[in-house]
Amino acid sequence: MNEYWADLVNFLSSDKIWSMTRAILLLVVGVAFAKLASTTIAKLVEKMADSHRAMLLKRGSYYLILILFLISALHELGFNLSVLLGAAGIFTVAIGFASQTSASNLISGLFLVAERPFGVGDVIRVGTTTGEVLSIDLLSVKLRTFDNLFVRIPNESLIKSEVTTLTRFPIRRIDVQVGVAYKEDLKKVRELLDQVADKNPLCLEEPKPLYIFLGFGDSSLNIQYSVWAKRENFLELKNSIHEEIKNAFDEHGIEIPFPHRTIYTGSVTEPFPITTVNKKD
Amino acid sequence: MQSDIDKPPSWWGVFDQKNGQCRQCCVGPLRLIVRSLNGVWQVAYERQDDADEVNATWEVKDTDQLPESLENNSRYVFRKPSGLLTITPLLADRSIITRPHSPFSLTAGEDVTLYVSTPLWMELAVGTPKKVLEEIAIQRPSDTWFGPSTLEGELCYASTTHCRLNLDELPRRPHRAITPVYIRNQADTTLSVERLNVPAPLLALYAAENGQLWTPKITLIREKDGDMAELKIDNKPPEEAKQAVQLSKPRMTASGGALIRAFNAVFS
Repeated sequence: MNEYWADLVNFLSSDKIWSMTRAILLLVVGVAFAKLASTTIAKLVEKMADSHRAMLLKRGSYYLILILFLISALHELGFNLSVLLGAAGIFTVAIGFASQTSASNLISGLFLVAERPFGVGDVIRVGTTTGEVLSIDLLSVKLRTFDNLFVRIPNESLIKSEVTTLTRFPIRRIDVQVGVAYKEDLKKVRELLDQVADKNPLCLEEPKPLYIFLGFGDSSLNIQYSVWAKRENFLELKNSIHEEIKNAFDEHGIEIPFPHRTIYTGSVTEPFPITTVNKKD
Repeated sequence: MQSDIDKPPSWWGVFDQKNGQCRQCCVGPLRLIVRSLNGVWQVAYERQDDADEVNATWEVKDTDQLPESLENNSRYVFRKPSGLLTITPLLADRSIITRPHSPFSLTAGEDVTLYVSTPLWMELAVGTPKKVLEEIAIQRPSDTWFGPSTLEGELCYASTTHCRLNLDELPRRPHRAITPVYIRNQADTTLSVERLNVPAPLLALYAAENGQLWTPKITLIREKDGDMAELKIDNKPPEEAKQAVQLSKPRMTASGGALIRAFNAVFS
């Protein structure tokens, strides 16, 4: 017991305890200072840069300051940094093998940040997931889908797969697929579609609406009519233009056909005889 | 108080509104009803799609119709009731794109003055100092895109009317302002004018003696290299507007007197 007591007294009276205290103090001060500095930097650049860059700068400055304080703390504890860095090299290889996925995500994250296909606040579509980007982190990108779900997508899969940024350009195109009966006059149909687009204020006058005749379908003449809208009005125009086309067609007696089946009994036979029978109980 | 007998001189200005009084303001296709009742202001409006665009008129009078009967209806609550309603005409918040009746060309060294009719907005404010309730487009213009491609350009409004070479050909309408645009082609090549970008947010609005609304004259000079256009906006009403008074300031202030814009940002 006395031996332990003597060891403890020796330890406490040695320089080690002071260097340890100084190291811990350095770390605590470092964390506080890094937080304060990074928040201040983010606030300062908030007005000049977008939220994505502000977030990057905040994180970057936080980790840089923290690493500097960590190095000072290790130096205080008597670690020889050159040896430590050498050891870190070997250590990195070992860690790299052990954590391939994380490392791959990390590197992908760096590429994503450099390439910048989207920023915080953009709406992106990855596979079947569409949502607003909440944050771009070192390992993953966090999305909020429109049904308010939180989705985490690893950076590696983002780099590998096709990503569509829906909010990159200020205008978008809406493709309206419509079929009209074979008896209809296509010129009149086209004029009507142009009139509908012209009357709707959300439909852009330029680029002009695009009329494409897609072909002779099974039961209808298939047409694609593409109109442009301001990005924010996309859904509103998508709803209103379909409704207005339907109304205009109804008003002018243009038929939008549903699939038809004609039963044909051969060229030499008579048509099927049809008799109406009153059903009696 | 305004009544049917003494018609106000214009559809804009400051109107005294009694508690419970319903005031109707019809300008071109827009019909607006405003009522203040115990500190609650109700603003309702609707637009007639089939309004007579050429012979548009205006009217401000009392009505028995309640604001609830119209399509777009909003209410604003104030702690202190105020009986002052200010209606101010404003220009569009985006540029206006207009086309001549048929595209024309300006050969090297030629110049021309075009007259453009631009749509107006109506700003409703109450009390002193003014508290803005809302801005209503008298006629909602169609959106359009102006730029060399779908990637590059700006979102604008498309004017429903053509710009004219002769001022007399332009119908005078209470819900539209007239902008004279002077174009000079200093380049060696011919300038083809198919669409013209009128920067409405940079323009002030003036009312002439006869009640016609005007904006300052815009000068567009296509420079010698042909790629750039110099845009100048006067800070006074145009010569055509007699004894004009300013009704509203520009929404945005241009930096400096003259602006140099890419040629394809003004013409196409």
